Amino acid sequence: MSQLVRSEFRKIVTTNTWWLFLLAVFVLTAASFALNALQAHSYIHEPAPQLPPNMPAEQARQVLADYTARRNIAVQAANLYTSGQYFGLLFVLLLGILVVTNEFFHQTATATFLVTPQRTRVIAGKLTATVTSAVGLCVATMVLCVVAGVIFLSIEGAAFALTDPAVVRALLLNLLAYAIWAVVGVGFGTLIRNQLAAVIVALALYLVASQIAAGIIQLVAFLTHAEWVTKLAVVVPSIASQVMITGGDLPGNPPQWLGAVVLVAYGVVAGAAGTLLTRRRDVS
Amino acid sequence: MPDNEIVVHGLTKQFRKVRAVDDLSFTVQPGRVTGFLGPNGAGKTTTLRMVLGLVMPTAGTATIGGRRYADLPEPIGTVGAVLEASSFHRGRTGRDHLVVVCDAAGLPAKRADEVLETVGLTAAARRKVRTYSLGMKQRLGIAAALLGDPPVLVLDEPANGLDPEGIHWMRGLLRGFAAEGRTILVSSHLLSEVQHMADDVVIIAAGRLVRQATVAELTGELATTRVLARTPHPDRLVAALDGARAETGEDGTVRVTGVDTAAVFRAAVAAGVELHELTYERPDLEHVFLELTSGRAGIQ
Repeated sequence: MSQLVRSEFRKIVTTNTWWLFLLAVFVLTAASFALNALQAHSYIHEPAPQLPPNMPAEQARQVLADYTARRNIAVQAANLYTSGQYFGLLFVLLLGILVVTNEFFHQTATATFLVTPQRTRVIAGKLTATVTSAVGLCVATMVLCVVAGVIFLSIEGAAFALTDPAVVRALLLNLLAYAIWAVVGVGFGTLIRNQLAAVIVALALYLVASQIAAGIIQLVAFLTHAEWVTKLAVVVPSIASQVMITGGDLPGNPPQWLGAVVLVAYGVVAGAAGTLLTRRRDVS
Repeated sequence: MPDNEIVVHGLTKQFRKVRAVDDLSFTVQPGRVTGFLGPNGAGKTTTLRMVLGLVMPTAGTATIGGRRYADLPEPIGTVGAVLEASSFHRGRTGRDHLVVVCDAAGLPAKRADEVLETVGLTAAARRKVRTYSLGMKQRLGIAAALLGDPPVLVLDEPANGLDPEGIHWMRGLLRGFAAEGRTILVSSHLLSEVQHMADDVVIIAAGRLVRQATVAELTGELATTRVLARTPHPDRLVAALDGARAETGEDGTVRVTGVDTAAVFRAAVAAGVELHELTYERPDLEHVFLELTSGRAGIQ
């Protein structure tokens, strides 16, 4: 198995894709970090709100609570340290898809299955290599963001909050998200062998499905007056990812683990169905 | 050393509406070059891909040394396969393509350099496949097949894209491998391409076996020579030949079977018959091949 994983790693690093992806992720991460830093800067230096004397007590409490929340340094730090996550996950998804569909796009599946006729093992090798690459990418971006974040926060004179449970949890969930989206990518690539189709479906699911699904769910809930329908939003992969990472603010407040379970289920179901198909498909 | 015979038994492949391979059985002996012949679309590639476990048979079996390809403990250490020349990532170097295979097979990367040397691609080893000519890709394919130093080689139309010098080189390579006792199965739609290197031939058409024979057997069937004579007096020549099987054609041609040119010439001189032309008509395997496969739809 380690031979197969090494072979899959070499496939990844012997074409241009990997460094183009890496470059894109780093550029987008840097841009995200800059935006997050700007936001953190304005929040950190935000003066306490001047409450008009005639403001109702309830409203005044809310304004103060919001202000305190914005100045929560742990939230700002976690945000900075996981900058670029949105794009990182997208590229990990694409990597997983390419690792599988490239074999058919470039017809290298023939060579791959000749040296390893046990196709399930090939897919397992791809999965391992992709998840490891995703975790590596996540660690690399996080290290850069944490270093930059610590420098930024020290300039701002704020605490680093590196050991704050909320920050530690955010970093670990970031890692988990990268790994899980890698699984989803390999699963999709295995199921949808056509590279273009797989990429389009994945992009649609990642980028626009949340809005569309949210709209549909709202509509169905409105038409059927069934309140529970709104809790189904977590089945949309991108929403599930959001739930897993932040808890989200969805109706019914689904637990974070549910988001992770939904995402893993997508990856495993797509991957298992794809593997069954791959075992039987003719390679020509 | 295990017997590395390729045995194809009752092999059948039904694509949606097309029966590409139909109850095909033949064997390929070690130490010999076997030409796998048939017109385009006869089912050669599908058969080879079934032997290699890439295409699942609808029925029947294909084994190498008694095992299915998928059950071989060391697949590329047992069988080297050269399939179509486009199966490379264009953005990867030739050497990297081979090293990827080495990794998966647990072979050291230096094997890649060795086989590149064997096929004469060392100078282009670190260039991307995108820059390769068709002939170079074909050589890279052969290099990949040699990585595991396999006792069995399966090649699908390996001469496609090779220039005459390349074809000559490949023939020598395959003959050398057969002389080392390896099993060589090489497909072609041109008999002339394998005629001079094959010991055996398996001829298929429309997915069915037409003939399995040694080249010697096929040639032996053609050993009866035919002589073409042209004369202004065909009838007198036929009479002079006295009993030899002869038939007259248009514009004074006489075709005589079973005798050589010397005999015909002597008979003509003795009878005082004027001759304008006297040649062997050497039927070659190509004719036999065409006869055996003609009338069978190549493309279904």
